[in-house]
Amino acid sequence: MTMTDAHLSAEAINQANRPSAAEIASRRKVIEVDSLDWSFGPRQVLFDINLDVREGEIMVIMGGSGSGKTTLLRHLVGLMPPMPGKIKLLGKDMGALSRMQLLELKRRIGVAFQFGALFSSMSVSENVKLPLRELTDLEERTMDIMANMKLEVCNLSGFGHLMPSDLSGGMMKRASIARAIVMDPKLIFLDEPSSGLDPVVSSALDDLILKLRDAMDISVVVVSHDVESAYKIADRITILDKGQILISDRVDAVRNSTNERVQNLLHRRSEQAEIDPTEYLRRLAGD
Amino acid sequence: MANPAKIFESIGKRTVAGLDEMGYAAAIFFEAIYWTLAGWRYRQPVRVSATFAAMMQFGVAALPIATLLAATIGLMLAIQSLYSLSIFGAQSYAYFGIAFAVVREFSPMIMGILIAGRSGSAIAARLATMSINQEVDALQVMGINPVRFLVSPVLIALVIVVPCLAMWANLVSLTAAGLYVSAELNQSFGAYVNDTIEVLQTGDVWQGIGKAALFGIIIALVGVVNGSTVQGGAEGVGKVTTRSVVMSISLIIVADMIFGFMTTQ
Ligand SMILES: Nc1ncnc2c1ncn2[C@@H]1O[C@H](COP(=O)(O)OP(=O)(O)OP(=O)(O)O)[C@@H](O)[C@H]1O
Ligand SMILES: [Mg+2]
Repeated sequence: MTMTDAHLSAEAINQANRPSAAEIASRRKVIEVDSLDWSFGPRQVLFDINLDVREGEIMVIMGGSGSGKTTLLRHLVGLMPPMPGKIKLLGKDMGALSRMQLLELKRRIGVAFQFGALFSSMSVSENVKLPLRELTDLEERTMDIMANMKLEVCNLSGFGHLMPSDLSGGMMKRASIARAIVMDPKLIFLDEPSSGLDPVVSSALDDLILKLRDAMDISVVVVSHDVESAYKIADRITILDKGQILISDRVDAVRNSTNERVQNLLHRRSEQAEIDPTEYLRRLAGD
Repeated sequence: MANPAKIFESIGKRTVAGLDEMGYAAAIFFEAIYWTLAGWRYRQPVRVSATFAAMMQFGVAALPIATLLAATIGLMLAIQSLYSLSIFGAQSYAYFGIAFAVVREFSPMIMGILIAGRSGSAIAARLATMSINQEVDALQVMGINPVRFLVSPVLIALVIVVPCLAMWANLVSLTAAGLYVSAELNQSFGAYVNDTIEVLQTGDVWQGIGKAALFGIIIALVGVVNGSTVQGGAEGVGKVTTRSVVMSISLIIVADMIFGFMTTQ
């Protein structure tokens, strides 16, 4: 069996497992974004974002470089200034929570950053144990057991003693996912899980994401550039373009979309030809 | 020729940036204190173990170099005092000047500068690296307050450690100076010790200790503010590290002057 075959068959399997549109629509919303705008200084980078993610769903957010994916993700995980009425996580309005309530909420979500963001001064298992150590009163032995379980889920058993600098790219991502799920969150966010990985390793990571959703019933938001991986894991895909949502729909609908910009993004076609010459000159002139 | 309007504009911008930075430092200072006092209410107390580790790193590990510097300063002061007092034939009063200079000025200042160079740079570099690696973001999304986790232990450790080092430096400097003076003047060392104890008031010692604690706060805040506002990768880390050392040493000297002026009025 060639790699593509394996890939396709895994995709097919997931497609078969995928909850139906009606089933998903009946589930609770774990994320609700309500007309979110955001500007860095004078420069608006998010325009009227409306989005929801349902329980047990894998939502992949895609878009070209600079389209606002990271900015949106940072809003979702609470790394941007709170704005009342804009973002609800697990039914709670993030902008209207007290400090204490926000801390409580953050215990129930997990985030894996693009470059891992593991603490370089701690071993892998200390990294995974950190949330337990800092946020719970568990005994050392219990923490060890929980951390090892999560490392095992992420195929890292036996590597806990390594320092982050000794990990390969794929191990680094898996370690950061292990840390993100150690508190048994209902919702996790993954930023560019497959960036910088070879196809085999990145496909294994896709399988891990599916496994997490299926075995632990976690809702997953993935920011990704990787079209193949998005087709494989996503229930729904949201495409951002210049800070606006171009489309947010089920995989097959996105795939078969007749919107030219959507197809360009999915097939990584350059949009040079589309550029209006006067617009281009204006941009060169710098305004 | 530079355009004068531009110069004023740039001075203005720098002033605003400086005020911004001071505001940020003050906010971090109060947040660190807040978490130290109220962290247990969020079930996130400032860790004693982290504070001790910082004290070991900033203080205990600095003892050899601190001792060497303190002894050298003591000797230097003794040599200079004997020389200048010999002009008036008043060498036997050397202990007077030495005692005040060491306890009120030199111990806190030299220890402050030493720790600024040794640990201020380490604090800035560590925080800058962590910011760039998104480790600070990671703490935040886990619901671990970064100020509580990273800043409070450092601040507490420095407020304790710099005064302790200054006390130790008092002891070492005065001993070194005493040995030199008593040898030069053919006096007993015991007599020198008695004279010194007699002339030193508790207030003098406290003044030195208070200053040292203030220097500890300066070193911590300057390191943290520079480290957490880093920009631009590995090169940025180098920049903020240097900047934080230069800035904390300058601030220590200025604060020392202001402190000295106010307490001798
Ligand atoms: N801190 C910031 N200050 C000012 N502008 C910013 C900042 N962060 C991002 N931007 C701008 O906002 C826009 C969206 O950036 P963002 O990082 O969200 O894009 P992205 O979709 O994640 O891109 P990439 O795929 O390259 O990671 C970009 O034009 C970027 O220049
Ligand atoms: Mg990005």
